[in-house]
Amino acid sequence: MTTSSNAYGAGIMAKTGKAFADEYFSEENQTVHESNEVVLVLKKSDEINSVVHEILLGDRKADNPTLIVEDRAGYWWLKATGKIEIDCTEVSELLGKHFSVYDLLVDVSSTIGRAYTLGETFTITSELMGLDVKLQDLQTA
Amino acid sequence: MAISAATKAATDALAVNRAPVSVGAQEVHRWMQSFTWDFEKNRTKYSTKYKMANDTKEQFKLIAKEYARMESVKDERQFGSLQDVLTRVDAANRVHPKWNESMKVISNFLEVGEYNAIAATGMLWDSATAPEQKNGYLGQVLDEIRHTNQCGYINYYFAKQGQDAAGHNDARRTRAIGPLWKGMKRVFSDGFISGDAVECSINLQLVGEACFTNPLIVAVTEWASANGDEMTPTVFLSIETDELRHMANGYQTVVSIANDAAASKYLNTDLNNAFWTQQKYFTPVLGMMFEYGSHFKVEPWVKTWNRWVYEDWGGIWIGRLGKYGVQSPASLRDAKKDAYWAHHDLFMIAYALWPTGFFRLTLPTAEEAEWYEANYPGWYDMYGKVYEEWKARGCEDPNSGFLPLQWFIENNHPIYIDRVSQVPFCPSYCKGASTLRVLEFNGKKHSFSDQWGERMWLSEPERYECQNIWEQYEGRELSEVIAEGHGVRSDGKTLISQPHTNKDGRLWTLDDIKKINCVFSDPLKAL
Repeated sequence: MTTSSNAYGAGIMAKTGKAFADEYFSEENQTVHESNEVVLVLKKSDEINSVVHEILLGDRKADNPTLIVEDRAGYWWLKATGKIEIDCTEVSELLGKHFSVYDLLVDVSSTIGRAYTLGETFTITSELMGLDVKLQDLQTA
Repeated sequence: MAISAATKAATDALAVNRAPVSVGAQEVHRWMQSFTWDFEKNRTKYSTKYKMANDTKEQFKLIAKEYARMESVKDERQFGSLQDVLTRVDAANRVHPKWNESMKVISNFLEVGEYNAIAATGMLWDSATAPEQKNGYLGQVLDEIRHTNQCGYINYYFAKQGQDAAGHNDARRTRAIGPLWKGMKRVFSDGFISGDAVECSINLQLVGEACFTNPLIVAVTEWASANGDEMTPTVFLSIETDELRHMANGYQTVVSIANDAAASKYLNTDLNNAFWTQQKYFTPVLGMMFEYGSHFKVEPWVKTWNRWVYEDWGGIWIGRLGKYGVQSPASLRDAKKDAYWAHHDLFMIAYALWPTGFFRLTLPTAEEAEWYEANYPGWYDMYGKVYEEWKARGCEDPNSGFLPLQWFIENNHPIYIDRVSQVPFCPSYCKGASTLRVLEFNGKKHSFSDQWGERMWLSEPERYECQNIWEQYEGRELSEVIAEGHGVRSDGKTLISQPHTNKDGRLWTLDDIKKINCVFSDPLKAL
């Protein structure tokens, strides 16, 4: 069982009954607290399951040690600190067929954070795109 | 011969940036953005007090061709699953009967929200001046049309393939008498399409979609799966694949006004009003549907709310915008109290008013009562023992002559309806954040359950003139009202709604209700 603070059942979620209520109603939890995490919901499908198992939890696992992936029945729930990136050229190689970033978006169900595409890369980041960081257009030669 | 402004713009753009001939979608997208459309003479149904910047981006760089291809793949997968394997395995009849009833409410109500979001995003298209922002809103208009069809289809599928079709089909005909309808129209209609365009965006995109679609459309699929329903995940997770672009549209709306002086004056009030408006309805209704409308529980609703609303939406969306002056909603404390208790309060009232609904409700079993008490300490003393009394008085049996509404009357616990949210509440018997406030305006009394709605009403009382069921049916007998409001099945006498989901249990008819002689009265008249 994971002990990551990004896990679905981490922190207050691990508590029950009165212990949960005490923390939930505590004075410090009556305002929002800034979070540097991002959440991604991926609808399960043939391609997405490969992306999760072979790339995010496979070849690229070491790139993002904060990433947590949990099976929530019909979807994969992902949470990480900072950002999650998926390069669809890698997915194309894995699947043995062209798989564009728009093919990926067919099964990207929800995002909490600033999500965007650039070329064949999908990114969800905690950065404030358009405010702190400029959103880039595709640059071609 | 003079050329049009659009032709000249295209010619000028081509001069500096030739149209690509073998291209990816994002090259086309970049090329199209060099069209500098003139939107100075924009006209909108409702203007906005904010000034929207004209250089705002659309985060996914979509063009129509990729959009259409993406959406057609989504539809092929969804309808393919429903019409092939899910029909073959008789999936609709594997759904737990309690959850079958919850989907009557969830999908019918979401359909209304999606339908109104078509108009809302059309209005935002009119209001925005940035070409990319318009592109994002336009994609959303098309998405909302798709979602309206999807929600309608899932009720059609349940009605055609599954169990107890009444309520899945033609739920709208009960909209005059059902006490949940008017509140739903407040959040899903009025809040999205009436008023300042940016305020509507905050209601729809920044709060409704970025916050509440996660429990409403994502987390709900876990509850559905746990209760044997594989149709809802197939459709709802497909709907949500468009919502990430809508959330981005809402965020970019904030980006577009971030440097406007009006933002620092109005944004926090508008955000708090939108948050309270949306949570006031979604928090108790979703909690009630998940917990009381399921047999197999995934987790306490308050945990679902804490994760998706407080920690993630609050921290990742609102918290991160703090340095741009966005503050934690002032109503958050009351919202958190509601997330813990208000769905229990609402279920009690909904069960008391069950004959006016279009879905069947079931009182918690002994096993469920243990679950509630373990997760919400104090639940039994407030609610559990009352349900035991109602059961002992035969509330499920048409021969008992007992409607739980009588319990509220006998114990002098009047049920009021909040003028702004249209959500019913019982101030003398609740644990949520509701307290009674009564104001008079134009010779009429108005009840409010909280300071947040009261403040909104005080600033524009003429906006909230919708009659509630007590005012509408004052002095009328319940069975007459149900018949008039189309609350009966195709035999013309059996109620659509029932106080149980027992397949062998007798169903209540208009005659059973008539024997009780329950007459509507407006509690405000007694004050």
